[in-house]
Amino acid sequence: MGPTRTRARLFAMLALCVWAGMLQGAVYTDALGRKLILDQEPGRIVTLAPSLTEIVYFLGLGDRVVGVTQFSSYPPEAQSKPKVGSYVNLSVEQIISLAPDLVIGTADGNRPAIVELLEKAGIPVFVVNPRNTREVIQTIRDIGHLCGVAEKAQVLARELSTRVDRIVAKTSGLDRPLVFLQVNTRPLMTVNADTFSSDLIRLAGGRNLADQEPIHYPRLSIEEVIGREPQVIIVSSMERGGEFEEVRQQWLSMPMIPAAKTGRVYLVDSDLIDRPSPRIVEGLELLARDIHPEADWGH
Amino acid sequence: MGDRPLRRPLTPARVAVVSLGMGCLLVLVGCVALLVGTAHISFDQVRALFHAGGDSQVETARLILLDIRLPRIILAALVGFALALGGVVFQALLRNPLADPFILGVSSGSAFGAIIGILLGLGTGFGVPAMSFAGALSTLVLLLSLGIKRIGMESSTILLTGVIINAFFTAMIMFFVSVSADAKLHSMLFWLYGDLSQTSYSHVSLIAPVVLVSSLLVYSFANRLNLLTAGEGSALRMGVDVVRTKLVLLVVVSLMIGTVVAFSGLIGFVGLIVPHLARMAFGSDHRLLIPAAALGGATFLVVADTLARALIAPSELPVGVISAFVGAPFFLYLLLARGSRWSRS
Amino acid sequence: MEPILSLQGVGFRYGRQSVLADIDLRVAPGQMLGILGPNGSGKSTLLSLMDGTLSPEPGVVLLDGAPMETLSRSHIARRIATVSQEEHFRFDFSVLEVALMGRFPHMGRLQFEGERDLEVAHRALEATRCLQLAKRSIHELSGGERQRVLIARALAQEPSLMLLDEPTSFLDLKFKREIFQLIDRLRTEKDLGVVVVSHDIDLVAQYCTQILLLEGGSIYRTGSPSEVITAENIEAVFDCPVRVDEDPETGKPRVSIT
Repeated sequence: MGPTRTRARLFAMLALCVWAGMLQGAVYTDALGRKLILDQEPGRIVTLAPSLTEIVYFLGLGDRVVGVTQFSSYPPEAQSKPKVGSYVNLSVEQIISLAPDLVIGTADGNRPAIVELLEKAGIPVFVVNPRNTREVIQTIRDIGHLCGVAEKAQVLARELSTRVDRIVAKTSGLDRPLVFLQVNTRPLMTVNADTFSSDLIRLAGGRNLADQEPIHYPRLSIEEVIGREPQVIIVSSMERGGEFEEVRQQWLSMPMIPAAKTGRVYLVDSDLIDRPSPRIVEGLELLARDIHPEADWGH
Repeated sequence: MGDRPLRRPLTPARVAVVSLGMGCLLVLVGCVALLVGTAHISFDQVRALFHAGGDSQVETARLILLDIRLPRIILAALVGFALALGGVVFQALLRNPLADPFILGVSSGSAFGAIIGILLGLGTGFGVPAMSFAGALSTLVLLLSLGIKRIGMESSTILLTGVIINAFFTAMIMFFVSVSADAKLHSMLFWLYGDLSQTSYSHVSLIAPVVLVSSLLVYSFANRLNLLTAGEGSALRMGVDVVRTKLVLLVVVSLMIGTVVAFSGLIGFVGLIVPHLARMAFGSDHRLLIPAAALGGATFLVVADTLARALIAPSELPVGVISAFVGAPFFLYLLLARGSRWSRS
Repeated sequence: MEPILSLQGVGFRYGRQSVLADIDLRVAPGQMLGILGPNGSGKSTLLSLMDGTLSPEPGVVLLDGAPMETLSRSHIARRIATVSQEEHFRFDFSVLEVALMGRFPHMGRLQFEGERDLEVAHRALEATRCLQLAKRSIHELSGGERQRVLIARALAQEPSLMLLDEPTSFLDLKFKREIFQLIDRLRTEKDLGVVVVSHDIDLVAQYCTQILLLEGGSIYRTGSPSEVITAENIEAVFDCPVRVDEDPETGKPRVSIT
C-alpha cells in the first residue's frame, strides 16, 4: 500500500470516529442535580409514582411504559402494566428484571437508597421534584425532552399554562375567600402552604385557612376551624356519596360558619388536587369554579 | 356480747358516699373540661348561654360548648367508665393483676373490624363503628367456642386463648395497614390510638344505655367476684356458681367494651391502671371497687382527653397517647414497688 | 346420735380409673374423724365427695339424711365448711373481710353484711384467736396465722361439719400443734363434727376420736385410734416399718419410725 492510501484510510477512520462521537448520548440534569446520559430515546420506561405514570401517558408514550407502581390508577390502561411495588415500598428486583432503559422517580416519596441501587445496576434514573403547579408543568416539559418528544411536550405544556393563566386572570381582581380544605375526617386534617393543594387554592383566588401551620398535614380541632370562619369548605375525598354526604351534613348543621350558612361545602376528587400530574390543572379549574362561582366561566 | 371494737368494713352507706363523692368530682372535672378548648369562651359567655337568644357570638359559643365539647366529654366519661369497669372485672375473673379489658382479644377484633370499615370507605358516623362491633362480637364467639367448650372455663385457658386471638388479629391489622394507601392510613392510626373527636349525641345515646345496663348487671355479681378472687374452689364450695358467673361476666363485659371501643378506638392503660389506683385507695372489695374504679376511669379519661385537646392546640393529640404517657410510668412504678406482692401466691 | 354426714357404698372414677370404692362412713357431731393414707390413696377425692364438690358414682352421700345431689350449694355451705389448701388470695383483703366471706351462704339478696354477720365473724375470729389481726392484710400473715384465719372463715359459715384438707402441711411444728388444738377445742366447744385429712400421723392419733385408714381407694381399717393405728396396719399401708406404743400420759397410740 502506498502512503496516499494509508493517509486516506487514516482520514476515513478519523471521520468515522468523529461521526461516532456525534452519536454519543445527550446529557440531562435532573431535579437533584444528577447528570444522566442516554444513548438513545428511551423505549422501556419504569415510573416510580402514580403522578409520573400519568405524565408519561399524557405525553403519548404509554406503549413505552414497562412498569408502574401499585396505585397508578390513571389512565386505566396503566393498570394492566406490570407492578413494581408502591411508591414508598419499591421492589428493586422487579424493576431490574424489567430491563428498563429509563426510570423516572420523584424526590417526594421514593427512597434515595432505591435510586442508588438502580444506578449501581447501571440503570439511568431521572428524579423530578415539582413543588407547585408551575413546576409540575415544567416537569412535563423536562420529561418530554428526556424521552425525545420535546416539541409535543412544549405544545401540551403551553396549553396547560394557558389554562392556568386564564384562571389567575379571572380571579385576580376578586376578593379572596377563606377556604378550608379537609383531606381527612377522623382525625380532621388539612394542608398547609407547602402543598400542591394549597398552591391550587392560591391560584384559584382563595386563601388557605391553614396556610401558616407548621406541618404539611395539620390536625385541627373542629373548634379551631369554626373559630376561623371559613367561607368555603372543600372536602377532598375519593369516595362520593356515603361519607361525603355525612360530612357535608355535619358542616351544614353549624350555621355560624359562613361556609355552612351559604351552603358552600363542596367535594373534589383528591387525585385532582393532590397529585403533581397534568390533571392538576383540571383540579384547579374545579376549585376555581367552587371558590369563585360569581366569575364568568363561559360554559 | 360486750365491747365490740369491730365495725363492718363495708356498708351500703359507705358505697353511696364514695360513689357520690367521685361522681361530684367527675362533674367538676367535666365542667372544667367544658371550658378548655381552642375557642376562648369566657365565663360571661357561659352565663349568657342560659338566657335564650343572644347574638351570633353567643350562638357560636353555644354550638361549641353544647354540640362539640359536651358530647365529647360525655363520651370520654362513658368510655373511661366502661374501660375501668372492664379492667376490674377481667382482673378478678382471670385472677391476674396485669389483665385489662383488651387482653382477651376483643380490642384487636374491634380494631380489625374498624380497619376493614375504613378500607371499605364506610362513614365514621355509624359504618365504621358497626364493623368494629362486629369484629368484637366475632372474637367473643371465637373465644367462647375455642376456649370454653372443649377445655372448660379455667382462667388460664381463657387467658391463653385470648392472647392467641389477639396475636392473630394484630397480625391481620398490621397486614392491612402495611398495604393500605396513604389516604386511609391516618384514619387507621388515629383509631388505633383512640379518638374521641367529632362524636355526637347520637353516638352517646347509643353507648350510654349499654354501659348503664352492663354496669348494673356486673354490680350484682360484686360479692361473688370477691369470693372468686379468694379462690375458685372455695367460692364454689360457698355456693357461687363459678362457671355461670364467669360466663355471664365475660359476655356482658366483652359486649360493653366492644360497643364502647367501636366509637372511641383503642385507648390503652385506662383499664389497667385505674383499677389498681382504685384498689390502692379503696381496697379490694368489689362492692366498693366497682363504682370507685368506674367513676375514677371516667374522670381519668375526661382529664386525658382534655389534655389531648389542649397540649398542642390548635392541633390535637390522639387520647391514647396521653393515657399511655401517664399510664406507662405509673405501671412501671407499680411493678417495681409492689411487684413482690403479686409474685406471692 | 344422728350423723350429720353419711356415705353409703360410695365410689368414684376419673374416666376409666377407679379412685375410690366401697366407702361407708358416718360423721356425727362432736366427732373428729382423721383420714390417713399414703399419697394417691384417694384422700382428697374423698373429701371432695364429702362436701359435695364431686358426685359419687356409685353410692350416695347423705347430709342430714338427704342425698346431697338434691340440695343446693348454699344449703350445703350452711352445713359444711371446707378448709382446703389451694387458697391464693390474688388481691389484698383484710382478715376481717376474709372472715366475713364465710357469711356468703347466709346472705340474702342484698349482699351486704348485717349486724348479725359481723357478730358471727367476730366470734369466729375470737375462737381462732385472730381478733387482734382483724385489720391486717391477709398477705402479711405467717403461714400459721393465715391458716387460722381460713378456719375462722369456715367457722363464720356456722357449719355443723368442718372438713380440713391437710391443714398443717406447710406449717412449723409449733403451728401444727396450734391448729390441731384449735380444731379440737372447736369440736368440743361447739359440738362440731370435724374431718381432717393429714400426713401428721402423730397429731391425728392424738386428737382424733375416729380414724379411717385408706389404701388404694378403699377402707383398710376404720375405728378408734388404738384400733387402727397398729404397727401391722401402718406397715401394710405405708410400706414402712414402725413401732407403735402407747403414750403413757394420754393412752393414745404413739408412732415411731424404725
